[in-house]
Amino acid sequence: MLRKWKKWATVSLLTLIAAGCSPGGPEETSEAGAGGEGSGKGQTTIRFSWWGNDERHDLTQEMLDLFEEEHPDITVEAEFTGWDSYWERLTTQAAGDNLPAVVQMDNSKLTEYISNDLALDLNTMIEEGTINMEDVNDVYQDMLVVDGNTYAISGGSNGLATIYNQDLFEEYNINLEPGYTYEELGQEMARVSEAEGEGFWGYDFVKADYETFRHYARQFDQHFYNEEGTGVGFEKQVLQDFLTTVTTWIDEGIATPYDVTAEVNESGESMVANEEAAIASAASNGLVGVQTLAEADLGLNVMPTAADGEKSGNWVRPSMSFMISSNVSEAKQEAAAELIDFITNNEEANQILRAERGVPIASDIRESLAGEVDPTVQETFEFLEVLEERAGDPEPLPPPGESEVRAAFDRMLESVKYDEMSIEEGVDSFVQEAEQILNQ
Amino acid sequence: MKTSETLTEKEITPEFVEKERKRRNLRESLTGYAMISPWLLGFFGLIIGPMIYSFILSFTDYDMLSAPQWTGFSNYVELFTNDPRFIQSLQATFTFVVIAIPLKLAFSLFLALLFNTGRKGSGIFTTIYYVPSIIGGSVAISVVWRQMFGRDGAVNTILDAWGLDTISFFGNSSAAMSILVILIVWQFGAPMIIFLAGLRQIPDDLYEAASVDGAGIVRKFIKVTIPMLTPIIFFNLVMETINGFMTFTQAFLITGGGPRDSTLFYAVYLYEVAFEFLNMGYASAMAWILLVIIGAFTLLIFKSSTFWVHYD
Repeated sequence: MLRKWKKWATVSLLTLIAAGCSPGGPEETSEAGAGGEGSGKGQTTIRFSWWGNDERHDLTQEMLDLFEEEHPDITVEAEFTGWDSYWERLTTQAAGDNLPAVVQMDNSKLTEYISNDLALDLNTMIEEGTINMEDVNDVYQDMLVVDGNTYAISGGSNGLATIYNQDLFEEYNINLEPGYTYEELGQEMARVSEAEGEGFWGYDFVKADYETFRHYARQFDQHFYNEEGTGVGFEKQVLQDFLTTVTTWIDEGIATPYDVTAEVNESGESMVANEEAAIASAASNGLVGVQTLAEADLGLNVMPTAADGEKSGNWVRPSMSFMISSNVSEAKQEAAAELIDFITNNEEANQILRAERGVPIASDIRESLAGEVDPTVQETFEFLEVLEERAGDPEPLPPPGESEVRAAFDRMLESVKYDEMSIEEGVDSFVQEAEQILNQ
Repeated sequence: MKTSETLTEKEITPEFVEKERKRRNLRESLTGYAMISPWLLGFFGLIIGPMIYSFILSFTDYDMLSAPQWTGFSNYVELFTNDPRFIQSLQATFTFVVIAIPLKLAFSLFLALLFNTGRKGSGIFTTIYYVPSIIGGSVAISVVWRQMFGRDGAVNTILDAWGLDTISFFGNSSAAMSILVILIVWQFGAPMIIFLAGLRQIPDDLYEAASVDGAGIVRKFIKVTIPMLTPIIFFNLVMETINGFMTFTQAFLITGGGPRDSTLFYAVYLYEVAFEFLNMGYASAMAWILLVIIGAFTLLIFKSSTFWVHYD
């Protein structure tokens, strides 16, 4: 009898092991036991997840080693992947009530986590000083504060900018001071593309038309989305004017044709670096990557402004942020806050991280890194100072469903650029589609 | 009437034997089930369970972050009445299947015929030609494909060297579709091997008889090879059609569904809805519709087979 028992026990054990090994089996069985209960005194284990490339993975892990050294009572388990699989993984974890304590967040996704009560309000922790924000100018955090509650801390900032070929600008004696208009830019680019001949265009919209338009609309005191997040927040006329500029530039050879720009983009190249365009829309931290591809000296400038605009279109945005998951234990939330504070304010940590996530938000960290980082990285720091001064109203976080609306915007744009739709038709159908998506 | 000395004999009654046999049978089947239990667990836990769940989800609105909301048939209604991209994805998928699958079958049959001559070394070539079938669905090949047909890729460089106009493969709807068709046709290995096996089973005397009757090579192909091969063609057609409807990796990585949704295959749109827009309920409904479509096509091919498949 006993032997039989043993046999069954073995079989069921093997079965359990097999089930545990198969993909989709319970993950992280150790977490609940290790951190959950035993966190009262002694060791707290928190998980920290981020997306990125190998460089970021290495730097972040090195920073975490230092953190654990300085906080012997906290153990950090790192979870990192590339961008695409990151969101699949994170939503699955959210569905399974198993979010990491510290989650690297993207602006386009944060609202969804806030509206489902998954993001902890960090105000108390900031007031208590667990997360020290004394050195941080509000513009860096504006986007992450909703109804007075702080839902995430920027992990580094950037701004919408233009990257331009400095050598070429000098050659053609082009001088565009911040505040320059679309008309001025158009005239100069017409001159350059004319002189450079075939295969050269002035401006490259880099498939960032969506962002560029957000910047454009802000100048007319309008946001892309309305306050309730149920539809667009701009007047149709504004989008029509913007699209008219875009298509006219393409037709006149001032801006890169759509298929060229799409293909260059897709392959990870840059037309400015290839010296096929003189200037392009970009995120300011994009300069670091694009400069390595280019022979010419590149520079950063603000976006062009609309001549009849009333307000500044600029805003400083987190290139990514860190939120604390609201459904982990209080001890873990506390440990998570300490980690975020460490990333924000610790000099050594930032020397390791080298501003790879964006320009550090604490001013004394920026100062301490000055001279230590690459000249190109330094340039992105300086640009943010320019932007900080010229920043307009805070830009609200986009509502849930943004990624779908953005995809619809890009599709509409494609149709307009390929002349399958008139600008009026495009704007009408897009506004309707956006409302439909946002009201789902 | 038996006495106590024959107790053992008493035990071996026919009933006892029967009982003992049953007990052993039960034990054997239990052991059997225990042995395959890992698979059973996987089957129910990872296939049947999720399928049932996805069926239920298809009647809900579910963004993975908050609990599913029951919405009845509204996902299905929305799909058919108010989603132009769904219709577009069906169109793209049908176009692709209707063009790519017959081409692939014809090409693999053609190569199987070449290799069937039994010349020296044809075995090596068969092996080499099978390779694309193994690697063709991989991410690496898709990336290579994208490079090759890119703006400065190999294909355009060659076109340029010959003084021809370069083509924007990813900016042009039919060009984008074509490179996906070429990639799928290039993975001809699996059907080719099956065709080859089928060809080898056709008795030589049929060809001899046909020769005696004065049939030429073309006539022999049409009157002997094709009819004898119909069961194999049938099998390949079913398998490839099913795979064709589910094409994902290539379109997702090479064209990303573009330009302007022209290669937005069903599976690509499904992925987009599920993992980029987080509409799990809607995506589940789409998955079930795909199952019905594939089922319907398979059934159609099966029903039609009585008219064109010869078993003898």
